[in-house]
Amino acid sequence: MTKARQKILMIDDDPDFCEALTAILKSAAYEVITASDAAEGKKKILSEKPDLVLLDIMMDSLFDGYSLCHAVKTSKEFETVKNTPIIFVSAVKEIAGARFGFKGEEQGMAGPDDYIDKPVKPADLLDRIDKLLRK
Amino acid sequence: MRREPQDAPDKGREAFLDMQEPLVLIIDDEESMRDACTQILLKSGYRIETAADGASGLQKIRDFRPDAVIIDLKMPGTSGFEVLENLKLIDPQIMAIVITGYATVDSAVEAMKKGAYDFLPKPFTPEELRLILSRALERRRLVLETEALRREKKLLEDNVITMVSHQLRSPLIAIQQYFEVILSGIVGQVGEKPAEMIRRARERLDGLLNLINDWLDMARIDKGQLVGKLRPLNLQKTLEKLLEFMLPLAKEYGISLELACVPGFASEALGDAETLEQVFTNLLSNAIKYNKPDGRVRISLKEDRDSVIVEIQDTGIGISQKHLPFIFDQFFQISRGASGKMKGSGLGLAIAKKIVDAHNGQIDVTSTAGTGSTFTVRLPKAPPGGASV
Repeated sequence: MTKARQKILMIDDDPDFCEALTAILKSAAYEVITASDAAEGKKKILSEKPDLVLLDIMMDSLFDGYSLCHAVKTSKEFETVKNTPIIFVSAVKEIAGARFGFKGEEQGMAGPDDYIDKPVKPADLLDRIDKLLRK
Repeated sequence: MRREPQDAPDKGREAFLDMQEPLVLIIDDEESMRDACTQILLKSGYRIETAADGASGLQKIRDFRPDAVIIDLKMPGTSGFEVLENLKLIDPQIMAIVITGYATVDSAVEAMKKGAYDFLPKPFTPEELRLILSRALERRRLVLETEALRREKKLLEDNVITMVSHQLRSPLIAIQQYFEVILSGIVGQVGEKPAEMIRRARERLDGLLNLINDWLDMARIDKGQLVGKLRPLNLQKTLEKLLEFMLPLAKEYGISLELACVPGFASEALGDAETLEQVFTNLLSNAIKYNKPDGRVRISLKEDRDSVIVEIQDTGIGISQKHLPFIFDQFFQISRGASGKMKGSGLGLAIAKKIVDAHNGQIDVTSTAGTGSTFTVRLPKAPPGGASV
């Protein structure tokens, strides 16, 4: 089957974490691009039109992953890419005792399509990505 | 990490940095007095609003939020004293200067007691008015500045734990992620010996991450803050959700979980969902981890007159009588002994107790070594009729 490789954008401010995850993604033959903050991520979502986005919640500011996710899902600016699946990749325990994933939705924020805890298990990550890309 | 507070910009600070000239409201029923004051103060560059009676004065205070108010004490209708009293409710940081027409010390003293900054007996010179006003505004500037700094400090304190947590955890998580990738064999085969060492290194990192989490949780729980977050809470829903969440761990340890609830149970506890989830997660994961193979964990939800009661009963190794009194102490850990491998920061139960205490609840334990332990959490009932969350 000749199919264009699917492209994944990873937005995370830790270059080492990115490198480790890139190794996992490349092992499954995905094309990987990275962005090291929300602003760069925003640009690349629009310019690169990735098939899926892996997004860290806490980067420069406390919750800018939430804001970016919300923007992609709801704002006019991202109209053309609003259906891009987003997976939060974050150690959510950092965020005040949140044990059950994203509480952002309760504050009226558009949530991600899936959520995975850091450090990620390679098989788990690839499984979740595969599920979302097959939809 | 840069700090970018998400909270609304600081009002006091903003007003203070706002370069606009101070706004002064003059409330006096005598037109000649209003005009005279206006003339004097306009010359000094203040912005002026005027009101001819107490009621419209109060309305203007609400609408314009002046920096200072000059109030004639003796007015028909709403008196200067009433304006003063209401002013304090609207914004205690608006400076009030009262004009005492009948130069009695008594009314001046009473006005000061009601929160006026200073008083000006009639007749007064333009110089006296300017001096008193500029002193009042200087005072206001200091108060606002202090308030702004205090709020900024609070914001920093609130977020510092989250920031420290992020910064302590990020490098550890990057290391763990490398380990995961290496162990998965994606970047090349790893021999059994090095793999074993990496697994052990990973476990030590897990321990360190738990310690950091627990330690920061301990610092984060603040009774004052928690009380503000208490809501009527359907604990049955909370526990059902938790049970589902704990299922993988229970499976891993071969433990069966069971939730027992009195039929028709409808009482709500007054609690904070987020921190209570933490308490029950901790108790449940202990009950699972320190259980016997093929053991059981039974969670019962009950009530008495004033409390909703959650019991978590395990069939585990139990806690010996000599250890029981210390079980909720920080850093208390029972040595490994017959129970085999234990890991943890020694803070889990101390955190649970701190949270339950902050709810004005109670946490207790009974145990028989070798048979099992029962942890009981009592939480105050929510007054009936409140909406559940």
